[in-house]
Amino acid sequence: MAHGAYLHDLRFWKNRRFITSTFIFAVVASLCVFVLLPTFYLISFTLTRWTEVYADVFANPLIGDENWMQILRYLSFSLRLSIVAVALDFLFGIPLAYFLARKQFLGKSLLEDIITLSLVIPTSGFGVATLLTWTGVSGLGVLLGRGVVEASYVVPIVNVPFLMLLVHVALTFPYVVRTLQGKLENLEPIFAQASRTLGASAFTTFRKIIFPLSIPALFSGGVLAFARSLGETGATMVVASIHTTAPMAIVRWVSEFKLATASFLGFLLIIFATIAILLVDVFVQRIGAFKTPKSNTLARIGHQVLRTEKVLSGKLRWLKDIASLAAVLTIVILPIIVVLTSVGAYWSLDPDTGKYQGSVLYQLFGPPNYFSSLMSATLTSVLVAVISTYIAACIAIPSVYLIKRYRAGGTLRHLLRIPLIVPSSALGLSVLLLWGPSGLNLATPGIWLIVLTHIVFSVPVVMEPTIAVYEGSGISMYEGVARTLGATPYDAVETISIPMLKRGILAGVILSFTRSLGETGATFLVMGSDVTVPPLVVNMVESLAIPAALFASAYLIALSLILLLLFRIVVRK
Amino acid sequence: MPDVKLVKARKTFDKGRIVAVDQVSLHVRDKEYFSLVGPSGCGKTTTLRMIAGLVEPDEGEIFIGDKLVTSLPPEDRDIGYVFQQYALFPNMDVWDNVTYGPTVKAWTEKKRERIGREMLEMVKLYDRADAIPDELSGGMMQRVALSRALAAGSKLLLLDEPLGALDAKIRNELRYEIRKLVNDLELTAIHVTHDQAEAMAVSDRIAIMKKGRILQVGTPYELYMKPQEIFVANFIGESNFLEGRVVRLTDDIATIRLRGDLKVRARRNEASKRNERVVLAIRPEAFEISKRQRKSVNELKGVVEKVRFEGTDIRYELRLANDDSVIVVRPSLGGEWFKHNDKITISFSPDKTHTFLYPPQGLLTELELE
Repeated sequence: MAHGAYLHDLRFWKNRRFITSTFIFAVVASLCVFVLLPTFYLISFTLTRWTEVYADVFANPLIGDENWMQILRYLSFSLRLSIVAVALDFLFGIPLAYFLARKQFLGKSLLEDIITLSLVIPTSGFGVATLLTWTGVSGLGVLLGRGVVEASYVVPIVNVPFLMLLVHVALTFPYVVRTLQGKLENLEPIFAQASRTLGASAFTTFRKIIFPLSIPALFSGGVLAFARSLGETGATMVVASIHTTAPMAIVRWVSEFKLATASFLGFLLIIFATIAILLVDVFVQRIGAFKTPKSNTLARIGHQVLRTEKVLSGKLRWLKDIASLAAVLTIVILPIIVVLTSVGAYWSLDPDTGKYQGSVLYQLFGPPNYFSSLMSATLTSVLVAVISTYIAACIAIPSVYLIKRYRAGGTLRHLLRIPLIVPSSALGLSVLLLWGPSGLNLATPGIWLIVLTHIVFSVPVVMEPTIAVYEGSGISMYEGVARTLGATPYDAVETISIPMLKRGILAGVILSFTRSLGETGATFLVMGSDVTVPPLVVNMVESLAIPAALFASAYLIALSLILLLLFRIVVRK
Repeated sequence: MPDVKLVKARKTFDKGRIVAVDQVSLHVRDKEYFSLVGPSGCGKTTTLRMIAGLVEPDEGEIFIGDKLVTSLPPEDRDIGYVFQQYALFPNMDVWDNVTYGPTVKAWTEKKRERIGREMLEMVKLYDRADAIPDELSGGMMQRVALSRALAAGSKLLLLDEPLGALDAKIRNELRYEIRKLVNDLELTAIHVTHDQAEAMAVSDRIAIMKKGRILQVGTPYELYMKPQEIFVANFIGESNFLEGRVVRLTDDIATIRLRGDLKVRARRNEASKRNERVVLAIRPEAFEISKRQRKSVNELKGVVEKVRFEGTDIRYELRLANDDSVIVVRPSLGGEWFKHNDKITISFSPDKTHTFLYPPQGLLTELELE
């Protein structure tokens, strides 16, 4: 009897171990095949075909190293643009995050929604909105009778195109605001209170206490913003005019079949992004014991600084809040309003020329027949988003367990953050070369290749919010409680963990869905003839079908507003 | 000189739904060690935070010295504040923490060095000046926090549960250390705690708070010997409460009939007329206990139901003849010990009792801590 029970236990135990190792193998294998391999394939591709790449980039028989010169030009242009954009993100984002973390006010959740909106908005639609707002007659220029700026206008001193800078700031500042706001909300208020009771003004407290303590958050928000800016394609292509960024160059070169040059540039972008995130991760970990350096030189001018800070803490403190709020409204909300109202203005006539050929109606339903291409693109977009999000969720949720339960999980998590920050056109190229006709020939450009591309970034997108919920919920404690009450490990996961993680999973799924819906850079390279909506918008702008682009943008923005609403319901519940 | 006055201060949270502090008026005298004591949520910390300027009152006025500070930010109030969770800045070492006040007040380098050294030597941690806060024990961190609060030069020290996060032994040592510092430096101290024993041990005067109001202010002696409310009698020390009715009144003695027709004589206090319903409070340590009857006043018979040896004291739970239950505490090193089921007689002197009117909402509600 006792012997039998023992045998039963043993079999059960062995069986469980078998299941566990099969599970781990399956998850790790799918992570490698669907996420990590495509991310890093471009690196091995470039290195294994180095002679070919070298010949094309550095020693072209016709143009010598002109391709290399171009790569350098585009790369330095992109880096400059991203650095300036992140600097502006900090300038507006830090006061805004501080404001949101510390104040309760009417419309706070609306403001937070606006910030989330620029994370979920399909970027090519937003690009059209910005383009119209600043260069069109129906935008800010309505009073002047012409656009406020030329599309090619370059901001002096920093030497960066104005419109590109605007869209990049609008699309990247939420990373800074949200990371910093989260950190500030978790920061014990007693540190600031202690500083105030010791005689420091609000501004001095910020400089000496709050700012040093939130430097890690600033860095991780900054690197996310930087990576997003470096890889941004959709909006950038729309507002580009005569300028070319590095990701745009990849798209162009691939369409010209200059694969070697394109892959070398993609290789460089992946290396940059990887180094950036690894550096920041190491730095942030080290900075846990961060100490403010002692400075005696500063003490001399200290008196003056302290007096100024005292004044700033008093009557002038609202200035910074107003300035950053105004910036957000101008760069995010204004374009959206303009695009929505312009659809009305262009509905039956071009308000500029008065011609029917320039109207939304004509371009949608007349001979250009953009409406049917828009509808078939929508179908493709939704199909891709549904399939890739579903597969990504199936891979991501078990991965969360691996990451949190096993010691190697930390490394895996670092690796899986790389697809998030690799410029998506490099990613698309990588997938194209791996699975496409010139690689394993598993799929030709088209819907399945798009799905394979979108899975790569969707897995980490689903995973990150799920991990965040996991870490904040004490799940392992509750699972332990369930085990002491007699639940098997699998019961505990099913009855305790999955319901607790549900909010994180849902949030991740919606984010992944919107990201897939708005993705432009990578999709361009792998879509073949199965056009999704964002590239369609770019094509409309490039063929100067502005009214159709307007309508499609408004349509995309409306779609993302609905998704945002969903996201909000899920997250706030 | 820093005396502190609150005039009808009121603070609500959650759009007025929660009244944290309700019309509190208070005068803390110069150089006094004053404690605010009460159960969690009684408003004591909010009161302290209003004095510090960390919370602004909805109504009422606050004076520090002769200065009206009601809407002044904390940095302009010239106070020292010690937090329960120490709140040492994690991005600075001990030295920078302690000299933070002098630094942000832009005192001269020389003065800063001198004060920092003095303050750290005072709490015997000068040799740890280079340590980062995480490397210190809880007691050390709180001593650093204390010297940091004092280094800013204020004569008013506000202590918010300063010992709450420490181990019992350290807590006892540090409470006397703080008391001595306050004496030596001639400070005014306001100390918030839920631990009545801690407050009794160090305070000149104590205010007992409950549900946002001050019930009684007095010296530890007054609160123990002359509690003005049932809640105070129970919160400071401990009391047995016996319900009864007044049957006879003389100048200072009320004769009270308890349940089961037991008659006892007690101090008259609030009892004002015959047949009034009252509660008689007697401290567990006020009883004599014996196996024999001694024919003295106020003798009640009973049986020992539980005995608990607590080191210094022995604690008996008795069942009286009328089925009332009574706790008696006797020093374990003096007198006779009793066992479970021993038949005993307890007695008490009338002037060690307090009589209160029976609370209209019931005794248990009155004694509730939250």
